[in-house]
Amino acid sequence: MVKHKKMAEEQEKLKEIITPSNKEVIVICEQQKGEVKPVALELLGAGRDLANKLGGKLSCVLLGSKLDEAVKKLIAYGADIVYVADNPILENYQTLPYRRVIVEFLESFPLPPHIVLLGSTTTGRDIAPRIAAHFETGLTADCTELDIGPYEHTNKMDPDKVGLYPGCLYAIRPSFGESLKARILGPWKNPQMATVRPGIMLPLSPDYSRKGEVKEISVNLKPEDYRTELIEIVHEINKSINLTEADVIVSGGFGLGKADGFDLIKELAACFENSAVGASRKAVDIGWISYQHQVGQTGKTVRPKVYIACGIAGAIQHRVGMSKSTTIIAINKDPDAPIFKFANYGIVGDVYHIIPELIKQFKSKSSGEKEEKSLVKQG
Amino acid sequence: MISSLPNIKLFKAIITLKERVNHKGKNTRNTLEITMANIENIFVLIKQVPDQSAKAGINPDGTIDRAKAKRMLNPFDRFALQAALHTKKTYGGKVTAISMGPPAATEILLEALENGVDSTCLLSDKRLAASDTLATAYALHKVVQSLGKFDLIFCGLQTTDGDTAQVGPQIAERLGLPQTTYCEDFKIENGKVIARRVVEGGHETVKMEMPALITVANSYHPLEYKSLRGARMVQNLVRNKTELDKYIKTVTLDDVGADPAKCGLKGSPTIVARTDKVSELGGSCIIKQGLPVEQMVSEVIAGANILEFVR
Repeated sequence: MVKHKKMAEEQEKLKEIITPSNKEVIVICEQQKGEVKPVALELLGAGRDLANKLGGKLSCVLLGSKLDEAVKKLIAYGADIVYVADNPILENYQTLPYRRVIVEFLESFPLPPHIVLLGSTTTGRDIAPRIAAHFETGLTADCTELDIGPYEHTNKMDPDKVGLYPGCLYAIRPSFGESLKARILGPWKNPQMATVRPGIMLPLSPDYSRKGEVKEISVNLKPEDYRTELIEIVHEINKSINLTEADVIVSGGFGLGKADGFDLIKELAACFENSAVGASRKAVDIGWISYQHQVGQTGKTVRPKVYIACGIAGAIQHRVGMSKSTTIIAINKDPDAPIFKFANYGIVGDVYHIIPELIKQFKSKSSGEKEEKSLVKQG
Repeated sequence: MISSLPNIKLFKAIITLKERVNHKGKNTRNTLEITMANIENIFVLIKQVPDQSAKAGINPDGTIDRAKAKRMLNPFDRFALQAALHTKKTYGGKVTAISMGPPAATEILLEALENGVDSTCLLSDKRLAASDTLATAYALHKVVQSLGKFDLIFCGLQTTDGDTAQVGPQIAERLGLPQTTYCEDFKIENGKVIARRVVEGGHETVKMEMPALITVANSYHPLEYKSLRGARMVQNLVRNKTELDKYIKTVTLDDVGADPAKCGLKGSPTIVARTDKVSELGGSCIIKQGLPVEQMVSEVIAGANILEFVR
């Protein structure tokens, strides 16, 4: 009883601390050739919810060149304010110039924004840590969930931080090979920052009648920002590598038994409208297919609508890269393969019998559909 | 180092040649400088992580007991180490491996010595416990500053125990360096690094002034550098404690002039407020087995509802 009373007293003593901020949630958007990247729209979807809970505005920052269309799109997808730096120097992402513009922009606020979000893409993961280090603020990587809520810090080891903090960003991410979900907080300093995995948050449905403010950001680069020079950008024409944006991924593993197996994988992938070819680490290590195709802990994290795993056992290192796919179909001759524990559909059998049958049925189905369509047209 | 001897010879030869040319004329000078990269110091940052594939030290709730867990060099750092050794072999210079962690982290520094790095430095201090990425980067940048001038810093892309990929760029920010992350190939030309980095759906090439920081992607396929001399040396070092200290310099926060308030729990703006075990999925998979292939395939296609994606 006494102990309880003591604890209650201590609880009461916890004073509420409000870290200064303007309550704004800012999304740093990515674009390519003036086209907003899907991850930016997903972040706006997530950011809208956070801004509503905080009672603040949702704004976004867009750097690039020829951005008029992109700005309209961002407003349609939920931004209250779009801060734009439209300048030919910023046409393509480069660490130092982008860092300069964003840091100076964030410094221009009399009160710092509450939250800054970026995608955990090769761009987001390149620049977000630099911005966080500049402001000496917290940054949580690769979040899969975000929320707002209070936090009581009672750790006596760190007395300066003890208090009750309302309106914290809950940055939730998988850790230790996705066996745990960690809630990470940093309410002591604003902006609270997070990068978010692409393909996880849902964008709002666009409304082009929405009104939003557009504000210009000034671009003042310094000589030291020109220490790097982008000399080449190569987009692989081979669409089969664009794993993060494909609807369907067909992946092959060690169970294929030979490099030629990937010819069959590619043929199956080609049956789909927007597909890519993936691979397990073992298949890449053995040299059957290039690293760009690798899915998993040391490869890419993907979240397609359909993931077809062929001859992949489903070790944890692979699972962490694809377990968030909407539908997982596994083909493996070993009925005890771990992949059958988390796939949605499984076929136990030889990939060299099953894949050709899948291709056959998809082809007949698609030609069947076309016939139906042409019938409708005639009618 | 045996391996760097030809480089020194070449370097001297170039110097003499350059001097001769200088007497004769001027225009040829630039072309000669291309062959000379002038790399002096290369740093590589490595970390010891728990081996998550080993069962030891993994608690039932999914957390890791670091004292019991099997330890290993962060797999991503192997690429950084090889990139640093490749730079030394190709362009000259000395490689220093730097790590932060408990005294047990000397294990990975010995491994680095075996591979052929010239010296190592371990930042070990109890006040660093519970450091997040910001605090870690602060402490490590202080170590780098204390070691003097450098041309290139290599880091692994990320660690397997944190998966953040943040410490490298945060060190670059603290030191005001240009950076290339996700680097899968590079060369040095005219005193600049030409680095290829992986991006979504392709790659890009960046030319960068030095000093600079590079985080190495695991698509970097280096020649494996192994040093027989390094391996022999480490064998001897393990037996001889005083010799060991010559190659592994252990420093504290005070030694590198770091502010303890910016390190460890105090210096970390983020904390893990809560962890939840992710429930094991299972039992929900619809498995087809032992039926005719045609039937199994058509049932899965119908059930999974994937025809809308077919071309």
